[in-house]
Amino acid sequence: MSARYDAIVVGGGHNGLVAAAYLARAGRKTLVLERRPVLGGAAVTEEVFPGFKFSVFSYVVSLLRPEIIRDLDLPKHGLQILPLESTVTPLENGDYLASWADPDETRRELCRHSPRDADAAVVFGRLMHHMAMAVKPILGMVPPDPASLSPGDLAGLLKLGGHFRSLGPERFHALHKLMTMSSADYLDEWFEFDGLKATKSASGIIGTFLGPRSPGSAYVLLHHYMGEIDGAFRAWGFQKGGTGAISETIARAARAHGAELRTGAGVERVIVRNGRATGVALSSGEEIAANLVISGLDPRLTFTRLVETRELPSELVDGIRRYKFRGSSGKVNLALSGLPSFACTPGEGPHLRGAISISPSIDYLERAYDDAKYGEFSRHPYMDIVIPSMIDPGMAPPGNHVMSVFVQYAPYALNGGWNDAKREAFGDAVVRTLARYAPNIESLILHRQVLTPHDIETITGLSEGNIFQGELALQQLFFLRPVPEWAKYRTPIQGYWQCGAGTHPGGGIMGASGRLAAMEILRAA
Amino acid sequence: MSASSYDVLVIGGGANGLVAAAVLAKSGKRTLLLEREETLGGQGRAVEFAPGFRAAPLGLDPGWLPDPIAAALGLRDLRRSEADADVAVLVEPGRFLALSRDGARSAEAIAAYSKADAAKWPEFTGRLRKLSGFLEALYLTPAPDISASSPAELLPLLGLARKFRGLGRHDSIEFLRTVPVSVWELLDDWFECAPLKAAVATGGIREHRQGPRSGGTGFVLLHHKTGNRAPWRDGPDAFTRAAEGAARRLGAAVRTGATVKRIEVREDAVAGIVLEDGEEIAVKTVLSTASPAATFLEWIDPVWLDPEFLHALGNIRYRGCAAYVAYALERLPDLPGLPAIDAMGGMVSLTSSVAALERAADAAKFGTVSEHPHVEFTVPTLHAADLAPGGKHVLIARAQYAPYRLRDGATWDAARTDALAKTVTATIEAASPCFSSRILSQKAWSPRDLEEQFGLREGAASQGELGLDQILFMRPVAGWGGHTTPIAGLYLGGVGSHPGPGILGGAGWLAAQRILSRS
Repeated sequence: MSARYDAIVVGGGHNGLVAAAYLARAGRKTLVLERRPVLGGAAVTEEVFPGFKFSVFSYVVSLLRPEIIRDLDLPKHGLQILPLESTVTPLENGDYLASWADPDETRRELCRHSPRDADAAVVFGRLMHHMAMAVKPILGMVPPDPASLSPGDLAGLLKLGGHFRSLGPERFHALHKLMTMSSADYLDEWFEFDGLKATKSASGIIGTFLGPRSPGSAYVLLHHYMGEIDGAFRAWGFQKGGTGAISETIARAARAHGAELRTGAGVERVIVRNGRATGVALSSGEEIAANLVISGLDPRLTFTRLVETRELPSELVDGIRRYKFRGSSGKVNLALSGLPSFACTPGEGPHLRGAISISPSIDYLERAYDDAKYGEFSRHPYMDIVIPSMIDPGMAPPGNHVMSVFVQYAPYALNGGWNDAKREAFGDAVVRTLARYAPNIESLILHRQVLTPHDIETITGLSEGNIFQGELALQQLFFLRPVPEWAKYRTPIQGYWQCGAGTHPGGGIMGASGRLAAMEILRAA
Repeated sequence: MSASSYDVLVIGGGANGLVAAAVLAKSGKRTLLLEREETLGGQGRAVEFAPGFRAAPLGLDPGWLPDPIAAALGLRDLRRSEADADVAVLVEPGRFLALSRDGARSAEAIAAYSKADAAKWPEFTGRLRKLSGFLEALYLTPAPDISASSPAELLPLLGLARKFRGLGRHDSIEFLRTVPVSVWELLDDWFECAPLKAAVATGGIREHRQGPRSGGTGFVLLHHKTGNRAPWRDGPDAFTRAAEGAARRLGAAVRTGATVKRIEVREDAVAGIVLEDGEEIAVKTVLSTASPAATFLEWIDPVWLDPEFLHALGNIRYRGCAAYVAYALERLPDLPGLPAIDAMGGMVSLTSSVAALERAADAAKFGTVSEHPHVEFTVPTLHAADLAPGGKHVLIARAQYAPYRLRDGATWDAARTDALAKTVTATIEAASPCFSSRILSQKAWSPRDLEEQFGLREGAASQGELGLDQILFMRPVAGWGGHTTPIAGLYLGGVGSHPGPGILGGAGWLAAQRILSRS
């Protein structure tokens, strides 16, 4: 078996596609192997019901790295992000809280609830911008190992230290708070209006098995704040055609540079000889040779499924065993015969082109978390709702709509385990909660697709259905992600690399892991 | 103002105040210590809660006395109990898992439940010891500060960095992992035995308004594992008596029954103190070991305070969440299943699972009292018989969670406190038949009572929850972790400052050093 490829990327998720594109751009003969019939991993658009296109799993984008967009010329390949212009939070008293793209409108709206918060929001926004700027360089950095004495690591640590010092004490302390506090406590220092705090804190629980009052949720809040679309800080948007179109865009860029992408080609294992990766074996039995194999799968699959653990040092295996997934999210995708009407602001309106956040209070979110802690899905879940067809009519037949409902919490380790009946019960709980705010919803549902963390795992391979390839918790971030010593995209096996979100900087559709892995590979050559 | 007869005034006669006064006096400073109560001791204060019965309700953990402090005050002879008992946890009525300071004995006890856990126990305790050992070094050093630039500031940091690297690669990483992790996760990674996990987890939530599943409880566990915390051989106020003796011997003047009303400030600098009885004392340096909130919000004219500093002070989370009940008992309680009576001299925890700890914690975040509170207790008369008349005993119990801040305007009135005390009694009775029939007398302290009687803001023994954003250079507020304040001559050296609660004289020591280094 002669080496036919320079690099094989296992898994056609967005990080794997990004890695492949960068490698191909550098002249490496690269092959991407994707098990499913469609590329994208958890960033896929599928016509689950005829005429209705769902962004099945992930549904909005903001964190895709601007340098990737530039380097791979993604707009040329079809990247077109339509901004989400608003977020509306129905409140328990029938009123609502809205935030709009226009800052003046937002200010007026917030003034309605709390003039004090309206002022504070401006200062808060500025601080969060500075915080995102403070963290940005870290997103683009290969984590230095603090326990190492190598010149490269020491230089990296000094650079990091210098960076923190340059923030000045005020910003450094603010960053420290964001890294350690709960989102509720952090927001309590700024705001008084509960609906506002709850809505903001909600981005601290996305994909995470924490409540707004859990220490560590403020970090997740910051993580989700680091978005940029065309320079508009923190704006979230839809890709035209759904998140699958983002994957397609990256795939096109990769192909344009000469990468080969194969679907329906599941990799069974990485072939390792004398401590070196020499290729892969597909489930079909076919073997393909390569000088490098890069896994875009999560760390559990990368280290315990694709290779034999006896090829790995025991400390690494222990560390991977300790690495936490904790899927806590569910998804309900609805095909609707018409538009839902939200009681707090009935009828059609601009709010339906943005996000609807079911997060009326911090207590509401915290109770949803408590349900999950004890092994049940939330009776009254947090929901992040968008209606993509409002902005991108091609997603549904004329007059019809698709609604994407992202849900916290649905624990992977449900008491008694997930099965069909539990899935339906979960879907029912979501629809029932939705109906409290949009009473006509049930009459509009033509079809519904319910995805539990177990489904997410089965379909995409994401262990335990954790959407970030592992919890975004301090103890497994940065130089600890996925495990100490193996946080620089390498593995102990020569020629075997990692490029998924189970490496720094973690999850969200960023592509950062894929890019950093590719750059490390090219540097190492 | 009377002429300055003192160089330094120390407010508060608890461990921190006494240590600070002793250190300052030893260095030749004319030092006066002012204590509001008639007796010294602060949190360590023992009270006669029933005729002939004494207890230090906040003394379940007598705290760690760092060696340099003991040496400086000449307290190296102060002895701790050598008894073995550590934590005994209720498995079910009639069965306890008793952990000992002797690792082999603990492993033997654990083996009855899980051989795998028993085998891992020595490594686990060894690891915790090593990691908390690093914290010990950290706590005797001024908190590291990102803006440190002078050699004086950087030198101790280098020493710390060296100590950190001295942990070795594996343990230094483990330290960084253990700090943010939850005790629930930490213990799940190590052990399978539910009561064992429940026993150890209590150390991660002690006086902390978070449940075992909350991040940062790994740090709290390490914090409370610093140093030797065995009971004093000569009773709960052994340290206070000895520290007072040292302070006086070294030349400090000590006055009890003296309540501060105001700290006089002129041109951003301390000018003196005014007491409640009107007496004025001129002085240029004041070290307050009272809570930062009390110091600034009650004693200083706000015109001298920066609005941002005030705002930050107002944001300190105290999160008092514990109530205490002291019982005067006719005789020792029966605890069927407890392997030896002396286990009652350690901590006895009546919560058998981490999930039950978590459920108890849930109530507090919604501003309610736990329906099934976590109750742990000790019988201090097993170490200090003179706390009770001959043959009789004292039992002190802590109940969590009893949040100071209750929802819907509820308050800690007598009815609520009594109701909680009843629940505590019932919880003990479930493990100790006939317990209530042995009660001669009892006294309960709600968080409100703790605030009023022990000067603890919001009843929090921590004087600032040990969240990772409220320690080190963030304690008591961001950027003011060095015991100085925006007002020249005013220093903070209480539990609300670095290094925090449970470290006898820790903050007072560092604050005193700071004062001395500036003169």
